Parts: sequence; C-alpha cells; structure tokens
Amino acid sequence: MRTPLSLFLLLSLLLFLSSCAVVLSWKKEEFRNCNQTPFCKRARSRKPGSSPFLAADVSISDGDLVAKLVPREPDPDQEDQEPPARPLALTLSAYRDGVMRVKIDEDYPSQESPHKRRFQVPDVIVSEFESKKLWLQRVSTERVGGDEGVSSIVYLSDEYEGVVRHDPFEVYVRERSSGDRVLSMNSHGLFDFEQLREKKEGEDWEERFRSHTDTRPYGPQSISFDVSFYGADFVYGIPERAASLALKPTRGPGIDHSEPYRLFNLDVFEYLHDSPFGLYGAIPFMISHGKARGTSGFFWLNAAEMQIDVLGEGWDADSGISLPSSQKRVDTFWMSEAGIVDAFFFIGPGPKDVVKQYVGVTGNPAMPQLFATAYHQCRWNYRDEEDVENVDAKFDEHDIPYDVLWLDIEHTDGKRYFTWDKVLFPHPEEMQRKLAAKGRHMVTIVDPHIKRDESYHIHKEASKNGYYVKDASGNDFEGWCWPGSSSYIDMLSPEIRSWWADKFSFENYVGSTPSLYIWNDMNEPSVFNGPELTMPRDALHYGGVEHRELHNANGYYFHMATSDGLLKRGNGNDRPFVLSRAFFPGSQRYGAVWTGDNTAEWDQLRVSVPMILTLGLTGLSFSGADVGGFFGNPEPELLVRWYQLGAYYPFFRAHAHQDTKRREPWLFGERNTELMRDAIRTRYMLLPFFYTLFREANVTGVPVVRPLWMEFPFDEATFDKDEAFMVGNSLLVQGIFTERAKHVSVYLPGKESWYDLRTGTTYLGSKTHKLEAPEDHVPAFQRAGTIIPRRDRFRRSTTQTVNDPYTLVIALNSSQTAEGELYIDDGKSFEFKHGAYIHRRFVFKGGKLTSLNMAPATSGNLPFKSECIIERIIILGHAGGPKNALIEPGNLKAQVEFGPLLLQGRSSSGVLTIRKPGIRIADDWTIKVL
Amino acid sequence: MKAAKARAVLALLSLCVLSIAGSASSSIPTDPFVGIAPEDLKYYKSSDVIKCKDGSKKFARAQLNDDFCDCPDGTDEPGTSACPGAKFYCRNAGHSPVLLYSSRVNDGICDCCDGSDEYDGKVNCSNTCWEAGKVARDKLRNKIATYKEGVTLRKQEVEQAKLALVKDEEELTKLKNEEKVLKGLVQQLKERKEQIEKAEEQERLQKEKEEKEKKEAEEKAEKEKIKTEEDAKQEKKEGEIKAEIEDIGVANTDHEKIGLVEDTPSDQNVEDDFEPLKEIENGDNAVSRGQQANGVNQHVVEDKDESVSQVSQKESEIAVEDVSRADQMTASGKDLSEDTEALSKEELGRLVASRWTGEKTEKEDKDGIIEDSEGEDHEEMSKDAHVEDEDEYASDADDDDQRYEEDDIEDDVDEDVPVEDHYDTSSSHESQSDDELDLSDTTTQTSPSWLEKIQQTVRSILQAVNLFQTPVDKSEAARVRKEYDESSAKLSKIESRISKLSDKLKYDFGKDKEFYSFYGRCFESKQNKYVYKVCPYKQATQEEGHSTTRLGQWDKFDDAYRVMIFSNGDRCWNGPDRSLKVRLRCGLKNEVAEVDEPSRCEYVALLSTPALCSEDKLKELEHKLELMENEQPRPHDEL
Repeated sequence: MRTPLSLFLLLSLLLFLSSCAVVLSWKKEEFRNCNQTPFCKRARSRKPGSSPFLAADVSISDGDLVAKLVPREPDPDQEDQEPPARPLALTLSAYRDGVMRVKIDEDYPSQESPHKRRFQVPDVIVSEFESKKLWLQRVSTERVGGDEGVSSIVYLSDEYEGVVRHDPFEVYVRERSSGDRVLSMNSHGLFDFEQLREKKEGEDWEERFRSHTDTRPYGPQSISFDVSFYGADFVYGIPERAASLALKPTRGPGIDHSEPYRLFNLDVFEYLHDSPFGLYGAIPFMISHGKARGTSGFFWLNAAEMQIDVLGEGWDADSGISLPSSQKRVDTFWMSEAGIVDAFFFIGPGPKDVVKQYVGVTGNPAMPQLFATAYHQCRWNYRDEEDVENVDAKFDEHDIPYDVLWLDIEHTDGKRYFTWDKVLFPHPEEMQRKLAAKGRHMVTIVDPHIKRDESYHIHKEASKNGYYVKDASGNDFEGWCWPGSSSYIDMLSPEIRSWWADKFSFENYVGSTPSLYIWNDMNEPSVFNGPELTMPRDALHYGGVEHRELHNANGYYFHMATSDGLLKRGNGNDRPFVLSRAFFPGSQRYGAVWTGDNTAEWDQLRVSVPMILTLGLTGLSFSGADVGGFFGNPEPELLVRWYQLGAYYPFFRAHAHQDTKRREPWLFGERNTELMRDAIRTRYMLLPFFYTLFREANVTGVPVVRPLWMEFPFDEATFDKDEAFMVGNSLLVQGIFTERAKHVSVYLPGKESWYDLRTGTTYLGSKTHKLEAPEDHVPAFQRAGTIIPRRDRFRRSTTQTVNDPYTLVIALNSSQTAEGELYIDDGKSFEFKHGAYIHRRFVFKGGKLTSLNMAPATSGNLPFKSECIIERIIILGHAGGPKNALIEPGNLKAQVEFGPLLLQGRSSSGVLTIRKPGIRIADDWTIKVL
Repeated sequence: MKAAKARAVLALLSLCVLSIAGSASSSIPTDPFVGIAPEDLKYYKSSDVIKCKDGSKKFARAQLNDDFCDCPDGTDEPGTSACPGAKFYCRNAGHSPVLLYSSRVNDGICDCCDGSDEYDGKVNCSNTCWEAGKVARDKLRNKIATYKEGVTLRKQEVEQAKLALVKDEEELTKLKNEEKVLKGLVQQLKERKEQIEKAEEQERLQKEKEEKEKKEAEEKAEKEKIKTEEDAKQEKKEGEIKAEIEDIGVANTDHEKIGLVEDTPSDQNVEDDFEPLKEIENGDNAVSRGQQANGVNQHVVEDKDESVSQVSQKESEIAVEDVSRADQMTASGKDLSEDTEALSKEELGRLVASRWTGEKTEKEDKDGIIEDSEGEDHEEMSKDAHVEDEDEYASDADDDDQRYEEDDIEDDVDEDVPVEDHYDTSSSHESQSDDELDLSDTTTQTSPSWLEKIQQTVRSILQAVNLFQTPVDKSEAARVRKEYDESSAKLSKIESRISKLSDKLKYDFGKDKEFYSFYGRCFESKQNKYVYKVCPYKQATQEEGHSTTRLGQWDKFDDAYRVMIFSNGDRCWNGPDRSLKVRLRCGLKNEVAEVDEPSRCEYVALLSTPALCSEDKLKELEHKLELMENEQPRPHDEL
C-alpha cells in the first residue's frame, strides 16, 4: 500500500505547487530582452564619444539647414573597424510654436535608385504641420564655449536657436539670451547609424529567437543616439508600459540588470504591474519637466522596435565628456532597429505647451460622441440576444445608467468579423434597435486577422486582390489567431485601407445599424504562433516595406482604416467611435485606447493611473483601463474601488475575461450595487464637465486627465506623484489602492484651498492631508477658483439628458473669484466644426456671476440651439450670507438658500444655493448675489 | 425718448423670452399632484407645509412638483425627474399601476402604458393599457388556474410526506430497538465462537506439534530463503512503480502541451502511461483481497478499487496537467524554448490561444479529439453500473465487516476527493429503493417472532454447545459460526438501514415537508446535445453522450425554499468549480426547464413543481386580479 499512497502524496504536492505558480504567469521567456536583441545589445555596449560622425557642408537649402554627416577618418590602430560606406544627409527645419525637426537618412545617390530605401512612416504627420514651417534664411557660425571647431546656428523663435556643432557632431536647442541649453542630441557621442549594404559572401544575417528565424535580408540597419534634457528633474512619456509616471533610470550607478524601456507593440498575456517591458502601443515621445527650466519634449517618428534607456546620474562619469555643469540634466539613450532619424524637439516651456507642440505634429485628439464619454458595459462575452436583453433590463431595474453594450469575439460566426453567430445572434438589427430605443449604443469587435476560409467573403476578396501582408518569401503570410489559421490585411496601403473602410457600410456589414460602433483588438498584430506572439519582422508590406520597419504603426493604420470606415458610413457627419488596443503617434485622431488585458488586483488598479496619465501626456487623451480587471475575479471591494476610480478615467468601461464570474454591478449585494451605481452616476453627473474637457483636448491636445505637475508646474512635490490626478484644471482625484483602507493620504498642491466634492469641506493647499478612507467614494476635491458644470438628474443613458437642466458649482478662492467653462454641441455630428455649438465661460468676481460667450462670432453659420436652463447654482466658500440673487437681464430675483451639495449619497451640511435661477445656458446673463 | 422706449421694449421682450424659455425647458406639470399614488394623496393635500417622508425637512405646497429637488428622499418631486430618489406613480387604468424611477419622467420614452410619465409634450405616448392589461389579465388567470390545481397537488404531497415521515421515524425507532437486541446476541455468539476457535486451535496445535517439531529445522531454512527472494521482488516492484511515475511525469511535460493543443495520439499515451499504474494498484489490492478470502466481497472490493483507481487516475491527470503548467512557469527559458520549438506552428498557435481560452481546448477536447475523455466516460458509466451491482451484492453479502470497511472508504473519498460517483451509493435513489425493497423483505420478517426466533436459537445454541468438550464437536462449532455469520450480517444490514434513514431524516424537506418526495428522485431535461439531470439532495449533472460533467453536489435550499443550490461541481479549466442554482416555480409537474450558463461554469435552471404552489401566493394572485378587474371599466381614459 505504500506505493499508491506516496504516489498520491506526490501528485497532490504537485497539484499544490502548480496552484501556487499560477500567479506568476507572465511568459517572460517568450519575449526578447535587450541582450537577446542584437541591435539593442550592440548599442548598449557602445561607449560615449564613440560616434564616428562630424558635420560638413552646412548650408541653407529650401528654407532648411542641410548638412552632410561624414565619417571621421578611421583610427588606424584599430583593426576590423568597418567605416560607414557613405555619408549621411541631415536636414534641420524650424516650425512655428517652438518645434525643431531633425531628419537624418542615408545620402542616397539621386541617379541610381537603390532597390531598398529606408522606411519613413507615412500618414502620421498632419498636413497643417507643414504650413507652420519657418523658411530659414540664413545660418550663422560661432565658436561655442571653448570649442576648437565651429557650430552653425539657426533661428527657431525670438527666444530660441537651433545649433549644429560640427565636430564632434551634436545638435541642440538653446535659449538665445542666456545660451542655456534646452534639449540636445548626441552630446555624448553615441550616435550611430548602420547603413543598408549588400550582403557579402559568407555573411550570416539571420537572427534566431526560440523556434523563429528572421532572415534579415538587409542586414543590420539600426540607429541609436543620446538625448539630453536640460533643467529637468524627471522624464515622462514613451508609453505603453505598466510603470510609474516619472520614468526611473534604467542604467547608471547602482542599477543592475535593468532592461531599457521597450517600445514594441505586443500582446502580453497577464502583464506585470511594474515593468519597463513594452505593451500594446508605442509612442516614442518623451517629456521632461523640472523646476529650473520647465518642460521640453523629444519625439522620434520611427515605427521599428525601439529601446530607450533613462540614464541615472553619474552614468557618464568615466566618459570624459563635459556638458555645461550648471544645468541639471536628464540623459537618455535611444535605439531603434530600423528606419530613419526623424526627430522633433519641443521647446515648451510649459507642460501644456509641449503637449500642444506634439499634437501640432501628430494631430489633435478626435472629438468623441457624447455617448462614448459615458459608461460602457463590456464582457467577453455577452452570449446571445437574450443575454443582451437581460443585462440591459437589469441596468434599468437597478436604475443604473449606461450608454454602450459591447460584444466580444464570440458574437461572430466562427471569428469571421462582420458576421454574426446565427444561433446566438439571429436578429442583430432588432437587438440594436431595442437598445437604441433607450438611447443606447452597441459596439462589436472587428479584429485584423482574417480567417482563411474560402467561403468567407473578406478572405476571398483579400486573397484575390493580394491585400494580405506577405511572408519573407512573398506568399500570403499565415498566422494563428482566434479563428485558427489567419492572414492579415496590409493596412499600410491607402487603397487597401479604403477597401477595408467600405466594409463598414450598412450594406456590407450585414446586421449593423447606425447605433453600432467598433472595437479593434489584437492589432499589434497578435499572432499566436509568431515570434513574441506577433508578426515575423521579415514579413513584407505594401511597397516592399519590412514588417520590422513599421511594426509599431501596424495597429495605427488598422485603427485609421476602421475609423475612416465609420466616417464613410455616416457620410462624414457621424463622429466615429473606434476603440483600439495598439497605438502609435497619431492614434488620438482615430478614437480611444485602453490599457489591454489587466488583472483584477489592487496593484493593477494602482498602475492604471500612471498608465492613463502617460497616455494623456502623449496625445492619447481618450483612454482607460478595464474596470474590475480583465483577468481574475475581483473581490467586491476591489470592484467597487475600481468603479469609484474608473468613473474618472476618460474612457470608462467595465470588462472581464470569459472565465471570470459575472460581475455586473448588481451581483454583489444591495450595498455594493448602491456603491457602484453611485460611482457610475458620479460620472454622469460630471459629464458636462468631462465633455467640455474633451473639447479642450480636441482643440489643444491638453488631456482630460492630467498629472498634478501639469496644473502645478512649480510645485516640486507633485513631480513624481502618480496616485492622484487632475481632471481638467478643476478636480483632483485620489485613488484608494489597498484593501480595507482605513486612511488615505492626499497631497493637495498649490496655494489655494480645495473643497471636498461630496461634502464641500475645505482643505488647505500645499499640504498632505491624512483622511479617513470613505467607503462610498474615492477622495475628490474641487480646486478653489474653479466652476464645474454638472447635470444632477439621472437618466437611462446620455441620450435622454439633452433637455435636462444644469447645476453650476462655484468654488471660490481666497480672493472670492472663480472661473469655469461649459461646452455643448449635438454630441454626435461634425456640425460643431461649423460653429454649431455653445461654449460659455463663467466668471465669478465681485459677488457677480457672468456667463460669457466663448464661441468666436465668426466661427460658422450653423447655430446650435439649446433650451436648457440652469436649475441650481452652488457657491462654495462665499464670505457673506447672501439672501437673494438678482438676475440680469430682466431684473429677476432668485432665492438663495442652503441646500445639499449632492442630491445623491451622503447629504452635506448645506451649501449656499441659488434656487431655480431659470436662466438659459445659451444666453448672456449675470447674477449678483445680495 | 425714442431710444429709451426702444430699450424698455427690448427689456420687456427679453423678459418675455426669458420667461417663455424658462417654462419651456423646465418641465413643471400642470397637475400638481401628478405621479402621486391615490393612497398618498391625503399626505400631500392635508396641509400647506408638507414634511419630507424621511423627516429631514419641510416644504411648502408650492414646492410640490415644482421641478426642483428639496427633499433628499424626493418626497417633494413625485411627478418630475428633479429628485433621483423619487418614484413616479402611473395609474395605468385598465392594467396595473406602476411605480417608476424618477429618471423615467419626461425622458422621451413611454414607460407607463397610459403615457402619463411623458407630459412635457416632447413625445406622444398612446394609451396601451387596455390591450396590455387584457394580455396581462389573461396571463394572470392562467397562472391562477395553475396555482389552484397546484395547491391541491401540493396538499396531497404534503399529506403523503407527513405519513411517510412518520413511517420512516417509526421504522427507525423499531430498527434501533432491534439493533440493540441483535447486538447483544452477536456479541454473545462472537464470544462463544472465539472460545470454540481457541479450543480448536489448541487442539490443532497439540496435534501438529510433534509432526512440526520433526520438520521444523528444514522448513525454517526453506522459508527464510523464500522470504528473501520475495522481499527482493517487492523492492523491485516498488522501484518499477516509482520509475513509472517518473516516466509519466516526464512524458507528460511534453504531452500536456500537446494535450493543450489537442493532439490525439499523445493523449492516448496518457492513458497508456497510466495503465500499468492501475494494474499495480489493483494488484496491490488483490493482495488484501486475498487476505479476506470472501468471494462475494472480492467482487465488491474490485469494483471499489477500480473506481478508486479511476479517481486517482483522474486526479493524476489533473495533477499532470498542473505539473507541466508549473513546469512551464518555473522552468528556465531555455527549457521552454526547447519545448515549444518542438511544436508545429499550428500547435504553437493553439497553445497560445488556449491561454486566453481554457474553454477552447476543453471544448475541442469534447469534440472528440481527446479520445481518452470518452474512454473515461465509458468507465464512469460502467462504474455507475458497478455501483448498483455493488449495492446488490452488498445486500446479499453476508459480511458486515466488509460493509463497514466500504463505508469507511466512502467517507474518505467523500472528504478528500468529492469528484467521483461511487460514494453516492448511500444516497443514490436507485440504490435507496433497492435497499428499501431488500429491507422491506427483512422488515416483513422483522416481526417480534423473527427476532424472538433468533433469540431462541441463539439461546439454544449457547446452551447446547459444550465448551469444554474435547475434541470440539465439529457440527456444534459449525452451527455457532453459521449463526454468528447470519446474525452479524443481519445486524449490519440493520445498521446500514439506520444510518441511511437517519441521514435522510437530517435533510431539510421544507416548511411543510413539501419536498419530501424529491428525495431519491432525479429530474431530467434535454437541451440541444446535453441532458441535464437534477437530483435533489444528491447532485446535478450535465451529460453529453457518455460524458458526464458534475454541475454540483447538493448544498441547500436558498431564498426561502425558492432556490436549490448545488455546489462544488467539477472544476472548470482556469475557472471556478461548477455550480448550479435551480430556481423553483409553481407548476403541475416536476419539470426542469431552461438550463443556462450565464457566467462561466455557473449554471442556472428552472424547475416547475407543485411544491411551490402555495396558498398564500394563490391568494395574492387572486387579489391582484381582482384589483386589475376593478380598474377595467374605464378602458379609454386617454380619450
């Protein structure tokens, strides 16, 4: 009997071990680290000052500064050194609003056309950017500092100049008056540029990783250089990863075995909550901020795999290179596998200036429809029409508003997108109409992998027309994804994108209705049996472009094509809504993104804040994390906390993996239902404020949610804070990230006070407050000096709110003033582009509230009308005890009384309230409190 | 002058515009009492200053329905959307009145069939109460008819249950008495038997002593030789088993991955891998079986062992899957790359996809790629059959020790691995009924005369057998043994029956014992390719062909006997243990319908039963109908 017993013990032990190990399921070994990535390993081993280039033939041509970068004479002592075959061509251009652009490419001899040119990413830079170009007239030369050689200097703006130092080669921006540097490139001489060349006999360029082989027909072609940010305390940006907002150094004294920040779009199963590893999207845009100088930014338009080191102080101690030591500095090192140098230097000097400069290049965020800014309910999967109907009915039964119900991959006929499972969804149009009757929308998923099935019309057309990405040998690339064997549409081609866009017409997408919008997932692209779960780098796109060259933009072109499809479908007058997982600079023009497959853990709730803040800083204002966590089953407390925080995400969607338990808000007992309803209603209450912020982002690029330092750039304590964030300039939200938290510490920046959003209680600024952790909300505070517009009535969805009255909450500062804005349009069409909107500015000053028209008088010819009134004006922090309010025009009186700050939830002690002023939101008026 | 006049006019004009605008967009109802239920009207009309119902505040009559929220609970705005907490009453003449959330008032959607929730003129709602009411009333009438009949059925059930329970309890008392008496007898017999055996043993020893002494020396040497050989063999065997296990472990690190990607042949391998193991286990048991030397019981044991070995096989399969998963996670990258490199591109694709979709592999398993799951199911089926056999054998068998041991095994299994089928014998309805039949046989005999007879026999035997007689009278000894065997068999049967009965009586049969008849019964429902089997107080399963998935073990009633809960079913890949909630509703037959899986591996079903047709509910429904019919005579209110 001993043997079976010990067998049993052995097996149960293993069972036990395996259940423990399930937690750590990030498949690290499936992905390359820097050492396994030859270009990264090579670049990282390079020594400062090793750059072989110097600038020559500097001149002005076509309004640009042009130069040749020529290799220095090779050191005769060193053997085996292959000098670069050809010189490189540098172009430096200046643009209005403080942008300098530097392009470096191979100097292709113009008569011969080489069979391969390096890839320049098309369709990212907006056409308006070119119109901002300054026509450089002249270049001056100067010996800077103790330099032996000369530097060439060009005009950037009245305050700034661009400098090209000839030998050693270096480019930087400096302040004209002080000569202080702002941003520089190659100050540490790490610039290297591996040129395309012919393969010599015996050369093996293949690269192997696990079972995959990359043929690398063009050999090594990587680029690397260093960038320094002056007057900077921290650098931020370069999404996407789950890491802190302020980027920690990855190399330097005391940092061992750290990986660089990786930018390579991947479908990462169960990603970790604190890792430099790159996730689904890539934006090679870094922002620095510091007390000394302010803010600057650097953007490298390049779609190949990129790795970026943030270099810790003292990393270059042995290099012998001296930079102006009076200026504090953050050095970084940029490496890319392919492409060209197309770099943008953003001068700032404020945080919002840099973001504006960046979206000036890559485009402003799209204006979403109103419904898209509300609450979304998603799950993999709502199974069938009955399920959809039940979930919809339950929201009504519990009086919880929601605007969009989502269908994941299972709604299709065998993962053939644009089709419906005939058994589960036999009447998709009727289903959507039923939702639409309550003003609700639906989103279905459309992924880029196409099932290789001859009876599937998309596949048939795509293969017939040669629309698929090809493998290295020129056949249609085949990979494995949800539908099994699949091919991938080549979205780099405008023609193919246009074909794809047509698939979204109501005729082509059978079963779609005008209330249906789209979700693009897996567009990194995810290829289950590919190297690192993606497409082989030697796959070929339109125009002979290698996948390695455009990989990070793959999802971007797909997102673009889908968004264009919805635009076409609506005859250009229905704002598209497309959620994408992969992204690239410019994605903000096409829709929203989310942070992918997160996990139901407190740490993941915590990291969602820096992730979303980083996306906002890099243009992608419309973003969110899956509320509740995609993988796993959240405890009710975690779910509730996630709703309470998620209500402030720009994109507010609950989502769950198919293996998880149902977690719709009513499934965890009455109290939890109440708490989640309260959280969702908070979002709906604040929607006028959010929508106004989305418009601000649409016009300026300044994100809806912002790091504290963006609003308080001189408050040093905020620079590395990423637990709390600002919604617009008015609201500070602090998450609660621990279980059964008793207390929560909140740092409130600035000199002015803050008012608790729920109770109106005042808290002093520039101070960390230790507060009791409330069960029914996460701490949120309105900044003194701001006015927030709200809608206090609850409806089933935003569609029914259009006629509802507004509430204004005025939070007075120490000088008894406050300001705020409200933007309204039809929430749906593009008529706002022709002036069909209301944009008001509210100013409270000298005891008088004034509503001013912010829309330019000449903005357009389409008026937007609203009969909506203001039903309530709440004034926080008023010094006097007014009894009445006098409204002009009309000399009407309104009663002033004490009322609740919020109609729902905890009732406050009573705040000064102007009752039923009855004024229209569209009109000019003033209200004087007496 | 002119200018001043113009300005005045302008001011007046804008005043008009303003007030028009104000009234146009604010939705103050013309009827100040709109949205108030008739029984509440008095509350609002009794005075000019009205209290908020939560007592927090007071408001003037003019503030009632003035489209501005004054009471935190919404008392002042029953007819508008101004207060989130308020409820709007629609009378719905011709149908049933309804209370709406205030969020529905003037939202552009017709919620009340009389259209009274949309009065701001933005939409026109037609009055559909008459038609809707008629449909609702008809439905209600049908429901009442069902209830009426159901109530009668339920009464019968309850009566029967009460009688049956009394019977059960009587039987139990009686059995307990018999058990007491019989125990005494068996004890006496046992002592006598032992005495006889002792005597016999002494006799035999004496007899053999001389012969033995002769050969002792030789035999001893011989025996020791054999023993060493045997030990060596045993050791070798153990070593083999160990190696086997290791082999399996190794084989499965590979196999599991492929298993995930549904490779038929290698899955077949697992089965093969386990085959020797099973044999060894059985072999081992055969040893103990031999020791017991009871043919009938041997059979039982064999069955039992087979199912046990199946348990462990299943377990080891689970474990193996997890083992290699653990391997995957802990192993170094190198090992892993080697592992996956061995896969074809397609296998790799499937493997990776399966991380997100455990279901996929599982499902595809079911689609027949993994033969072994079917094989296993076959085994389960045959095992089920064994279980019944076993019971039959057991009741015929005359060895109570064996029975007890079996029970022990059952208990163990029950506690450790609540996955397998066989332990259900104790509560399976079929075996139960068998048992009952069987026992009723006994029970008919179990008259006082029967027991007395035994008592008499024993008495006579005990007197007759002369203990001190040498040599022992062979026939006397045989009589004692036979009588002992028979009596203890009967005792064991009685004991088993007692334990079953008291187990049964421990269950919750409902307020009026209306669920008594559910005990030992199963209700089936066929949906697409699945057959769902709900066996209250036992378990619920989903069967597809020969494959059986356990949706849950009986847990309890919930929600005031309106829900039955089955929990701790078979584990889901990457998910929870399966569970089933059966919602009960009044119906004339016991019928399962609408089995559904709204959340992964959490099933719900609907079971109609007369047990739910309560008189109270019937009265409630009748009252509701009465109310609806009273509303009827004014069909076309809207006109």
